[in-house]
Amino acid sequence: MAASSIEDLSRQFRAALDAASSPADLKAVRDDFLSRKQGRVTALVKSIATAPPEERRALGSLANALKQDIEEALDARDAVMLATAGPKDAVDVSLPARRPWVGRRHPLTQVRERVEDIFMAMGYQVIVGPEIEDDWHNFEALNMPASHPARDMQDTLYLSAPVPAPDNGRAATLLRTHTSGMQIRYMEAHDPPVRIIAPGRVYRRDNFDATHTPMFTQVEGLVVDEHISLGDLKGTLNAFAEEFFDAKVTTRFRPSFFPYTEPSAELDVECQGCSGRGCGLCKHTGWIEILGCGMVHPAVFEAVGYDANRYTGFAFGMGIERLALRLYGVDDIRMFYENDLRFLEQIAL
Amino acid sequence: MKAPVSWIREFADLPASAGVNDIAAAVASVGFEVAGIEGDVIDFEITANRPDCLSVRGLAREARTAFGGQSPGSRVPGLPAVARNAKVGPESEVPVTIESELCGRYALALADVTVGPSPAWLADRLTACGIRPINNVVDVTNYVLLEIGQPMHAFDVARLAGPEIRVRMARAGEALTTLDRQARTLDPSMLVIADAARAVAIAGVMGGATSEVSASTSRIALESAWFQPASVRATSKRLGLKTEASARFERGVDLEAATAGLACALDLLERIGAGHRLGGITDRYPSPAADRAVILLRSRLDRLLGDQVPDADVMRILTSLGFVVTPAGTDWHIRVPSWRVDVAREADLIEEVGRHWGVNRVPATFPALRTPPHRADAAVLRARRLRRLLCGAGLQEAVTFTFIEQAAAEPFASDSASLVTIANPLSEKFAVLRPSMLPGLLDALSYNRRRDIADVRLFEAGSVFSTQGERQRVGWVLSGARQVHWSQPLADVDLFDALGVAELLAGAFGVTCRSEPAADAPWCVPGRAAALFVDDGGASKYVGIVGQLLPTLTSARGLPAGVTVVGGELDLHELIDLQGANAAPRRVTPLPRHPSVQRDLSILIDAGLPAAAVRGTIQANAPATLVDVREFDRYHGKGVPTGQVSLSLRLTFRDRDRTLTDAEVQQAVEAIVEALTRTHGTTLRGN
Ligand SMILES: [Zn+2]
Repeated sequence: MAASSIEDLSRQFRAALDAASSPADLKAVRDDFLSRKQGRVTALVKSIATAPPEERRALGSLANALKQDIEEALDARDAVMLATAGPKDAVDVSLPARRPWVGRRHPLTQVRERVEDIFMAMGYQVIVGPEIEDDWHNFEALNMPASHPARDMQDTLYLSAPVPAPDNGRAATLLRTHTSGMQIRYMEAHDPPVRIIAPGRVYRRDNFDATHTPMFTQVEGLVVDEHISLGDLKGTLNAFAEEFFDAKVTTRFRPSFFPYTEPSAELDVECQGCSGRGCGLCKHTGWIEILGCGMVHPAVFEAVGYDANRYTGFAFGMGIERLALRLYGVDDIRMFYENDLRFLEQIAL
Repeated sequence: MKAPVSWIREFADLPASAGVNDIAAAVASVGFEVAGIEGDVIDFEITANRPDCLSVRGLAREARTAFGGQSPGSRVPGLPAVARNAKVGPESEVPVTIESELCGRYALALADVTVGPSPAWLADRLTACGIRPINNVVDVTNYVLLEIGQPMHAFDVARLAGPEIRVRMARAGEALTTLDRQARTLDPSMLVIADAARAVAIAGVMGGATSEVSASTSRIALESAWFQPASVRATSKRLGLKTEASARFERGVDLEAATAGLACALDLLERIGAGHRLGGITDRYPSPAADRAVILLRSRLDRLLGDQVPDADVMRILTSLGFVVTPAGTDWHIRVPSWRVDVAREADLIEEVGRHWGVNRVPATFPALRTPPHRADAAVLRARRLRRLLCGAGLQEAVTFTFIEQAAAEPFASDSASLVTIANPLSEKFAVLRPSMLPGLLDALSYNRRRDIADVRLFEAGSVFSTQGERQRVGWVLSGARQVHWSQPLADVDLFDALGVAELLAGAFGVTCRSEPAADAPWCVPGRAAALFVDDGGASKYVGIVGQLLPTLTSARGLPAGVTVVGGELDLHELIDLQGANAAPRRVTPLPRHPSVQRDLSILIDAGLPAAAVRGTIQANAPATLVDVREFDRYHGKGVPTGQVSLSLRLTFRDRDRTLTDAEVQQAVEAIVEALTRTHGTTLRGN
């Protein structure tokens, strides 16, 4: 081992570098000299350990300098070759890429947020509340006292035993059948004016079929002030429908019945599948029902301690699944609960 | 309620040109959805508030009003005029006693009859309305029920003990075989019609078989009564017995129609030659209902509708529906007809006007915003942020059912006594409220894997339940390859992928989570479970768990052995509480202006020594300039003694105010190495 062998190695490297004409050649040169296992420079560095102690230091720094030189020269040559690479070095860009994983929000979430966004832009506050409820908030305060026949409209799932409420309020005894209880919860805690929407899961003892599941998603809306009229309800919901469907839509209000609103109505939009002429999508009626609504019943105001002579308001509730069926052209509501990735991955990001 | 148009026309003066479809559309437009049309018969859906429209006459009122109202001079028959509570001649020979307030009115008349088939026109009308003809007497009672909405019942007088009628509560255990041949056991909450000896009918629900009208019946007692809606509803529910009568009574029958109903039925018996009336009508009506008067203010009508309906139209609509309207200045005094049990206050009248004026005619306006709007609830904004974060990290959002099977819930509950169960579940598969997000997510993951979708990464945020209450959590499950590319071999996800999701989420809440071995996680592979803690003002707070799912749980869902599924769950309440404590917006720290120095360290440690312990020793023995410690290699095998592992760490030193010297970094590293040797007996590994 001597300084001369280090110079030899340096010369050999220069020759090999000059001879290299392709990235593959360059890779071979790099391996030959620098490989951790059999590289010639690596071997040289190891051999220093056997040199006489007084020479080790000097040899060590020479070897290190050589190693650095070689690395720099290889890197520089690499850069030149890359910049002037010929066709045979080209990467096959038609091979599959390494794509980052990305997930999607569930279609029901996307529709729900679409609804939320529309109402937020109209100045509504979005609120959420418990899915297990007490009788007062789900029925009684909504003008549905015990034994009210309207309770049959919503077949209720009851809990085997009451479950305490987080706020030390009434213990929950049932799974909420609608988000309308959020009207009560909000009005009990706030004075008018009110302008809220409350999205969330609701539950009914319905069997599964293409249009029913025992769990579904609703968005409740409530506006209360001194001069809120049925006209305001119409204007608001018409505006919503146009924003939601992103099109000029024709709407129709049909009188209906809900115990907590009066007058009550259902809002239909003209079927986009057939422009109102009638098709399978709209069961040949030309219309698709999208929500229930009405003017807040004075009994509801009385239940929460609002002055029913001073205030009027409107409320509405819509099913997210029903809107999602329309938006995505799905014909079976159960699709939303199977979580089949082949379905979910078709939904826009 | 199915009703033939020809029958409706008997009570409504409708344009001759209006066809079945026109009439159906007109009535639908005022709130009675049409379920179907068959020939002349329209099937209307009647909302729960309108028992009066469970009758042809009720529908006729709506139809005529929908077509513009009763035209002057048209003679639309009302109910036969029977004065309220008036005795029509002498009372019938069968005495009637009301012993319960649940019966508001009971009218009875006798008739001698010849039981036989009904004439075809009558039988056809019943059939069209979905009621099976039985014999002329029973058919007459059903005809009256359909025509005016008054349920009636005919008893065979020869089969009544006494004969007398007592309306009383059932006795405990009292038995009655109803007309449908079912033996029923009654209880004292149920109102019955009894003779001198026993119950002969369940009031408002169904008659008994023993006093049923049969071919040999020659004298009948016709009942026309009013029973309290809630009582009929409760009894019908308890017995699981819904009938045409109970459907009407539980919604509210016209109190004033009892005697009118009798009169109709007796007339009809006579008309079809089935029999004739015998004696007078008994009418027990202990507390006659008062007239209901409501004032409708013009100002209130305009304000609620947002439209000005002309006076004439208000009058026309309400009058045609049977209200008695007296103008009073700009307002109206209104008497509510007895059959409109749903109308009690002004808003109810505004609804009537609005319904028939047409909601579609009301001009659309937009409510003014008088106060500044509020941002969405923090929970809503947080949930949105969390979803976007996880989607961006490559997880797909799932939506799974809140109720699951008990057996599926148990491995994920702290104990099965803490599960919230549903009293009346749809089936055993939906009997328990989920105690965790994981069982549902695992089902969804398995669903996909069973369909040959190998790489599944799902999350869901939502409510979980225990007997302590409802809480918000986010859960995730991962399975399949970490990355899929032709250039590299497939490597399956493992516990650290699931842990990474937890760290990502905690970071989003501005906290750092620490993991410790979780010994008692019932759903985890032993030794592959981490309990997650965050620092809460010095104390350690449990916020969730991450683990590899037991093969028994995955194989139960049809996954082959060898499929690794990892998952985790964080309690959002706990994280939110923490954030609440540090609610101030997070401030940024100034960027370092001086370079950092890195030193790599490879040490041999006992295989059982947690990395956290090594990290702890390093941090405890390093100067404040040590800003980061990161493991970058962990290796055992060739060159490493059995029972030990080689752990490589990168230490980063930096000072805020100056550039560190080599010497002081070297000194710090030596002190760290010395402390590691002293504390854990580690040896430095040559590089
Ligand atoms: Zn259509």
